[in-house]
This record gives sequence, C-alpha cells and structure tokens, in this order.
Amino acid sequence: MAAYKARLEQFKDALSKSELDIKKIRELSFQGCPFESGYRSICWKILLEHLPLKRDEWPKHLQRQRATYKQFINELIIIPGEKAYLGALADGKLEDHPLNPNPDSQWSVQFKDNDMLMQIDKDCRRLCPDLSFFQSATKFPCNEIIHAKSNVETLRKRVEHTVLKSETVGRNRLGITNMQSTRRRTSDEYALLPDGQEAHWEVVERILFIYAKLNPGLNYVQGMNEILGPIYYTFASDPDPECKEYAEADSFFCFTNLMAEIRDHFIKTLDDSDCGIGYSMTRLMEEIHIRDPCLSHRMTEQDLKPQYFAFRWITLMLSQEFPLPDVLRIWDSLFADKNRFDFLITVCCSMLILLRNEILSNDFPSNMKLLQNFPYTTVEVIKVISKAVEMLHR
Amino acid sequence: MAKKTYDLLFKLLLIGDSGVGKTCLLFRFSDDAFNTTFISTIGIDFKIKTVELGGKKIKLQIWDTAGQERFHTITTSYYRGAMGIMLVYDITNGKSFENISKWLRNIDEHANEDVEKMILGNKCDMEDKRQVPKDRGTSIAQEHGIPFLETSAKANINVDKGFMELAQAILNKTPGRDTEPKGVDIHKQETGKGKCC
Repeated sequence: MAAYKARLEQFKDALSKSELDIKKIRELSFQGCPFESGYRSICWKILLEHLPLKRDEWPKHLQRQRATYKQFINELIIIPGEKAYLGALADGKLEDHPLNPNPDSQWSVQFKDNDMLMQIDKDCRRLCPDLSFFQSATKFPCNEIIHAKSNVETLRKRVEHTVLKSETVGRNRLGITNMQSTRRRTSDEYALLPDGQEAHWEVVERILFIYAKLNPGLNYVQGMNEILGPIYYTFASDPDPECKEYAEADSFFCFTNLMAEIRDHFIKTLDDSDCGIGYSMTRLMEEIHIRDPCLSHRMTEQDLKPQYFAFRWITLMLSQEFPLPDVLRIWDSLFADKNRFDFLITVCCSMLILLRNEILSNDFPSNMKLLQNFPYTTVEVIKVISKAVEMLHR
Repeated sequence: MAKKTYDLLFKLLLIGDSGVGKTCLLFRFSDDAFNTTFISTIGIDFKIKTVELGGKKIKLQIWDTAGQERFHTITTSYYRGAMGIMLVYDITNGKSFENISKWLRNIDEHANEDVEKMILGNKCDMEDKRQVPKDRGTSIAQEHGIPFLETSAKANINVDKGFMELAQAILNKTPGRDTEPKGVDIHKQETGKGKCC
C-alpha cells in the first residue's frame, strides 16, 4: 500500500512539472499507469502525442483540437445529413439521382459510405460484449446530433434507412407491393436507446466513421473498433469530469495518432512488404527462433503458422486475447515503449515462451486452441509482462 | 505418440460476408449452443469436432474466416487445403446473397478443383425480416450444382445437417473407404423446426 502511494506520488510529481520530462513519464508508464486521479488518461494522451510537453499549452491546445473535431462532425455528418434529406425531397428533379452511373455522383458516394457505415455499425454493436459499458448511455452525447432537427439524417437514421431501403427492394422482387414491415430492424439483443440518448458504442461508431471519411485510402477495416474501444473506455470512465466530457474528441485524436503508427498492419496491399503485418509476424517467429530454437522447430514442424494466431495478436495489439483491465495494463507498456511496438513483438514472444511446454507436447488442434484462447487465468498478464521485460535485458 | 483417435481428418472452411453468422453456426455445431455476443472474427478462427459417419470416426477441422475484403489474402491461403467449403449468406441481408457469386469465384480461383461445396442461407428464424426468398437460394445453388440449406444457428435448424452432409459428400469420394455410406448419422433429432424450413 505504501509502495502504491509512493507510486501515485511519483506520477503526481512527474505530471505537475511545467515542462514534462517524457523520459520519466515513459519510465513510469512502462510499469503500469494508475487509474486513480486520471493518471492513465493523461499519460496515454502524452504518450500518444495528443498533449504537448509544455503544460501551460494544454488548455489552448485541447480547446483547438476539440473545436476541430466538432467541425468534422459538422462537415462530415450534419451537413451531408441535411443534403441527403433535401435530396430525398427533390428526388427526380435533380440531375443527380440514385441511378446516376457517373462516378462523381453524390449518390454513388452516399452508397459507398453506407456500405462502410453498415460495416462499422455491425462491429460497434458487438464491441466488448462482456462489458455493459458500451451498451449504456453516455452522459455526454453529441448535442448537435441528438437534438438535430428531423431534417438531418444522422448516422443512426442512416443505418435504419439503409436497412429499410434494401428491405423494400427485396420485397419488390418478390412481387409483393404492400410494405407490411416498416418496423425498424434492430437486432433483438442490442436495442437502440430512445431518442435523446446515445450509447457509448454509438460514439465509437461516429469516431470510426469520421476517421474513415478523413482517411479514404485506408477506410474502415474490421478490428479498428478493437483498437479504439480501450482508448475511448479509458477516457470516458476517467474520474475527471472534463476528461469524460471530451472523451469522444480526445479519443479521436489519440486513435488517429496511434493508427498513424500501426496502420500498415491494416493495409492489405502491404501484407507482403517489409512494413506490413506479414513482416511483423516474420519478426516474431525469428525472435522465437533465436530465443527458443526448440520451440521454433516444433512450431515449424507442426505447421503452426503465425497467421493462425499472431495475425490477430499483433493487428489488435492483444486486445482480444485478454480481458479489458489486462489490455489496459499491456497498453501502458506498449505506449511507453520508445521504439514503439517493438515491445509488442517481445510480449507476443513471451506469451509463446510461457506456453512452450504445452506447445511442445500438444498435438496441432490442441495447440491451435491454446493459441487462439490464451489461458490468461493461469498465465496472468503480470507474468507475461515481466517475462517480456526480462527478455528485453537479454 | 498418442494413439490415433479418429479414422479420417476432413478440413472444412467457412466463408461469406461479415455478419452473416459464420461464427455462430460453427459454435452451434461444435458446442451446441447459441451466443449472440460474438465479437467480429479477425483473421481466422479454428474449431474441432469429431463425428461418426458411415461407421468411421471423422475429425472435422473447421476454419472460420473473417468476412471483410481486407482479410482475403490471409484467408484465401486456406482454400487450397480445404476439402469442403461452407458458403454462408444471411437471408435478412440481400447484399450478402448478391455476393454469393463473388465468393464462388473466389473458390474457383483458390480452392482445389474437386472441393465439396455447400451454400447456407442463415438466420431463417427471422422470417419477418427476410429479404432473400428461399427459391432464389435454391436456384443459385442448382445453377452451380451445389447443395443448399436454409439454417438458423439461433433456433438450431439444419445446422448439424449442413455440416454432416458436407462431411458425407467428402467421405463419399474418399478413396479406400471400406464401408458403404450409411447416410447421414445425426444422433439427435433437431429441435425447433421453424416455419421456413
């Protein structure tokens, strides 16, 4: 307890300097950030370069960033939402129409966006299902959207309309013209909150939609939700009211900065290049080969390819392998790593080496089961990290 | 070395658009349970189930793939080794049905020529949300000469049947099998027959 208090004191001390010592903050965070006093949120924002190192710049910087994000919402959701509504009204009178084959057609953009939105929607509804947090209402919904006039097509309405439209088409093909089912399609398990409220997953959906619109070359890739989820969770459940209130905007920028470093793993065309996921998996297997040739030999012999397990481990930074509190602890260290994400490979390596005895004696299916469901109750996260740290020094 | 606990090993692969219920179908078949809270599959997942067919113990090694385009380079590498491919769409999602032909092309490009295929129209318990009439599924399947079933992982309709028929089709052309095919052996009667099937 005394040791823990001393640690909190160290964080307080390091974070109160007017000019922050990034080396010190890295050092402290690497050992794990305390949730108390919102230290984890602050440290992550610093490590992910959302907050500058000069403390007195924080208020102005944050204000500017948050205003920028608001503008993104306005430009990418609200204004197009109004246009979509007007367009629907004027349908048939405009030169541009839904069947316009011209690639510049606003309609074709709208259709492509809807595909992407539907994919984000599916994934966000099923984000961290073991946790009630993402299904619950946020105290800080986007006011412009929940109080939007009925002539703005918000993301929520767009999802509903897209589903309804395709329902109409389906029925028409059947030859049945009466539309009996105008009922909103919500999956029974994840009912939407009433108007005026937003669930946390809807906030995550909005961030991902804006990110995808701003990064058309990358777009939305499944798994991004699992990267954003823990960041948003951390900020939105912080003890500091201001951190909670601006969790959406701040997560957006932290996520954007983090993606700048790991996005190559999400890009299919880079799979076989020397910066994509293929290369990272090869590096992991080479590391295993150096540290534990026997294990490496066994894995090759059994054809336990890294694609079967490490693809997910690395792409999602282990967020699907451990329960959320453990993920946050691992990310403290990953974000604190100066050669960022080299440590991720070391952690993956440590996970494999801690399972070596099982892997050496198991058959292929048992090994696949083991690696796809990492036994975090017996091989705890603390063990994994300390083994990884030990490996750093050897 | 441990004694072999099975006679044959069949490798199966599940493909189809994201969100059509591939993971749920597999979970129903392997664990006989339904779980609505599945996270999206990233890359590839894996399950094992041993079944008895034609007097033989057959170990089914089933690979469950991610639906999104991005993962295709990872997932298409599994097509080659697969002996059976289950192609899944969602009857409440017209788009997932339209993409069937795209998935069939993928199979042609990447899988062994003699791979056994089967098309499943999943979520057939949700009749009120149906977008794809059953006869459209039947006709695309006939066109390509592929068996077809409508299934529901939730209501446990035709799930065992689908996997067992696919396994049977592989067994039928496995060389050196000494027993005559005795037909599909499903131990328990499937429960909850829905109005759609």
